[in-house]
Amino acid sequence: MRVGLPRASVVGLTALAVCLPLGLIFYQSALNAPFFAPHKLGTGAFEFIFADSDFWDALKNSVVIATAMGLIAVPLGGILAFLMIRTDLPGRGWIEPLLLIPVFVSPMVLGFGYVVSAGPVGFYSVWAKELFGGVPWNVYSLTGIAVIAGLTHVPHVYLYSSSALKSLGSDVEEAARMTGSTPFQVARDVSLPMVTPSLLFSGVLVFFLGFEIFGLPLVLGDPEGHLVLATYLYKLTNKLGTPSYHLMAAVAVCIVAMTFPLVMLQRYLLKNAGKFVTVKGKAGRQRPLPLGGWRWVAAAILVFWLFVTVVVPLSGIALRALVTNWGEGVRLADVLTLDNFREVLQQPTLVRGILNTVLIGIVGGGLAVVCYTAVGLTTHRKNDVWARIVDYLVLVPRAVPGLLAGLAFLWVFLFFPPLAPLRSTIFSLWIAYTVVWLAYGMRLVSSSLLQVGPELEEAARSAGASPGRVTRDVTLPLIRYGLLASWLLVFMIFEREYSTGVYLLGPGTEVIGSLLVSLWGTGAAESVAALSFINVVLVAIGLTVALRFGVKLHD
Amino acid sequence: MTETTTPAGAAANKLRVDDLHLSYGDNAILKGVSMQLAQGEVVSLLGPSGSGKTTLLRAVAGLEAPHRGTIRIEDRPVFDAAAGQELPAEKRNLGLVFQSYALWPHRTVSDNVGYGLKLRKVASAEVRQRVDAALGNLGLGHLGDRLPHQLSGGQQQRVAIARALVYNPPVILMDEPLSNLDAKLREEARAWLRELILKMRLSALVVTHDQNEAMAMSDRILLLNNGVIEQEGTPQELYGEPRTLFVADFMGSNNKVEGQVVERRGDSALLAGAGWQLWGQARGAAATGGAATGMVRLERVRLADGEGANTLKLPLVTSMFLGDRWEYLFHRGDLRLRAYGPRALAPGEQWLEIAPDSFWIF
Repeated sequence: MRVGLPRASVVGLTALAVCLPLGLIFYQSALNAPFFAPHKLGTGAFEFIFADSDFWDALKNSVVIATAMGLIAVPLGGILAFLMIRTDLPGRGWIEPLLLIPVFVSPMVLGFGYVVSAGPVGFYSVWAKELFGGVPWNVYSLTGIAVIAGLTHVPHVYLYSSSALKSLGSDVEEAARMTGSTPFQVARDVSLPMVTPSLLFSGVLVFFLGFEIFGLPLVLGDPEGHLVLATYLYKLTNKLGTPSYHLMAAVAVCIVAMTFPLVMLQRYLLKNAGKFVTVKGKAGRQRPLPLGGWRWVAAAILVFWLFVTVVVPLSGIALRALVTNWGEGVRLADVLTLDNFREVLQQPTLVRGILNTVLIGIVGGGLAVVCYTAVGLTTHRKNDVWARIVDYLVLVPRAVPGLLAGLAFLWVFLFFPPLAPLRSTIFSLWIAYTVVWLAYGMRLVSSSLLQVGPELEEAARSAGASPGRVTRDVTLPLIRYGLLASWLLVFMIFEREYSTGVYLLGPGTEVIGSLLVSLWGTGAAESVAALSFINVVLVAIGLTVALRFGVKLHD
Repeated sequence: MTETTTPAGAAANKLRVDDLHLSYGDNAILKGVSMQLAQGEVVSLLGPSGSGKTTLLRAVAGLEAPHRGTIRIEDRPVFDAAAGQELPAEKRNLGLVFQSYALWPHRTVSDNVGYGLKLRKVASAEVRQRVDAALGNLGLGHLGDRLPHQLSGGQQQRVAIARALVYNPPVILMDEPLSNLDAKLREEARAWLRELILKMRLSALVVTHDQNEAMAMSDRILLLNNGVIEQEGTPQELYGEPRTLFVADFMGSNNKVEGQVVERRGDSALLAGAGWQLWGQARGAAATGGAATGMVRLERVRLADGEGANTLKLPLVTSMFLGDRWEYLFHRGDLRLRAYGPRALAPGEQWLEIAPDSFWIF
């Protein structure tokens, strides 16, 4: 079959944008020195990190955290989804957007929020000490990090299991009630087992996100020196005095070697989840399951989870942004101030960072959606080799955590001198963001495309429209609201993003996310708090607009 | 296969399909289909689901890719597997009416109908005039500014037809055009569509799974079964002279009886079962002594007053009231017969007569 020039060039550019950075990582990992220094091919980089006990500690911690995240997030997310979707839990309508907050707030911000709220001298810790005479938790311990990571990833599981539960008929649950099951037994024995494929899928997702997390362990792991793979990589930057790119590349390859099989496993599970659809009960006719007395117990659990994962860190950020200092014996009324914000607004770098963040969210998000649409159209209603290539191309960036992707793009700009001038422009950041979120954006765009009936396009074909005209006159106009919604969601994701910008941070490419990482390193807690607060406000604006216009936050 | 009588002229056949083969992977959908469509003729593609009728229509439209055979529109090849030639759907200049109507929800009725003209670079004043004429023709004159979702099902169907007709395609293709209407509306729409086709002298290829619709609307029927044309002919030929059991069984409401051929006399055969024997027309290759299936339309089973030639005596199971007539069910052993009549029957044994030329033995 003939492939049109536009389609071939979109596929080609996508392949370039995805494979070039990843290729550079592999190339660099096979050198025994950074590529800008004299180098030879060799396994020196791997030998170095494998001989480093910190690497093994980091690997062990990553496995522990990822496992704990799966063990905490999957059951909790599943139960939460059951309560929200299938029962008459009070207040379901307004709780749902709150549930999803941890997905849209940067982990860096959340991590910082836990430090100022629940760290040794955090707000809640101080209050707890006054009440109980001691702080019964330690957020800096490995257990603390794992529990917080697990709790903040509950929404990821919730997203997948709730959409599966929505398509489950209530007759199967009613049958269980008739035979004498309590609501809890219904969830355990009928509803959740029937959505096992989704739970399994989200379990793999959370486990795999566990290898990627950077912000939380960076902030919370620092005081007691707990490293995970991503923070180990970050600390390597200056380990040997000069940038040790070869070592970082070797760690990056190790991370990708673990995440890529998980991405493939996810893909396999997703395919099989589709087959499971036929076994479902009669969908469509859904009545909430009455919880009876249990509904208050369930509501209490839900509110407690919300309190720990949303209220505690965010209220901490808000308070910290509004006080000069905090500690035992300090009275809140004495230390309230707006100086932290004034301080931020007096630093040109930070102001530029805020503007850039807004810019990359609005303009960059819009351009990214344009790109995702172009890529989505190359596979739309096509099942040829090109479509399959794009399918796999989209998968690749999923396996590459943002931190690595940012590093890889930095190398692209350093490695190819003609591209160097772009490095200090926000374009470098935009292309990295766009590639990192390619899979997410593609999912948004293709779910819009899937809603266009094939016969609407065929009708235009038989009326005499060329494939290009069909796209312009029928397909695109029909998905325009879906694309606007995607723009909004991509805006929020780009506001939240922090790790991708870490290595691309420089004059002109500052964004709040990467500034937070670098400011955290310098210990400027007041600026971090104020910037975090601004970041949360930006995301909240996006969320409000989304809710106002009824944008579905997930499928 | 019988050649259709064609009027003289260069483009005697508006559409000609020869030996078309199409498969999805290993699954063969069309296995060598040939057909013609003459100017002003309505041909129905009839068959059970999975017989390939919609696939054939879509292949003609250019929406499916066959791997063997040719398709010609007005003697112009649009698909020729041997020559490696395939004209894309938009270059075939055909009108296609979809089962779901496929009206573009974001365009008004006028914009839906005028789109094909706009693509053909017709001046906008003329587009407006021709769209208005087409809508007027179909009784939709006042609805041009509406959006599709503001129309009733019947109106949407007419818009879909107007959209397919407005640029005067040589052939109009319809995929189950009436199946989305409710039963009452469907019969009216059937008559209306037939009238429209005659009035505008359209050449139409219509897919349907409803034999009554096919018989009422078309000049010729192609009955498809499992990817091949089982029989082709006028509605009367298909109904009255079925060549295979499949065709006989597909058309009309039927009684089927299994038996054994005990005697053959030329075209006649005697089929016998436990306690009964009937003379009928031998339509299959059934030889004396072989098992065969006898078939008779429900309306051809007559209630008889007493024993006669080709009669049976069966006990009545029940009478069912259908409104305009009664349907009776007779049953004994493995012999089940249904018949129509004007009144309720008293319980008991009843003599039934089946004329030998209405009893087909395959």
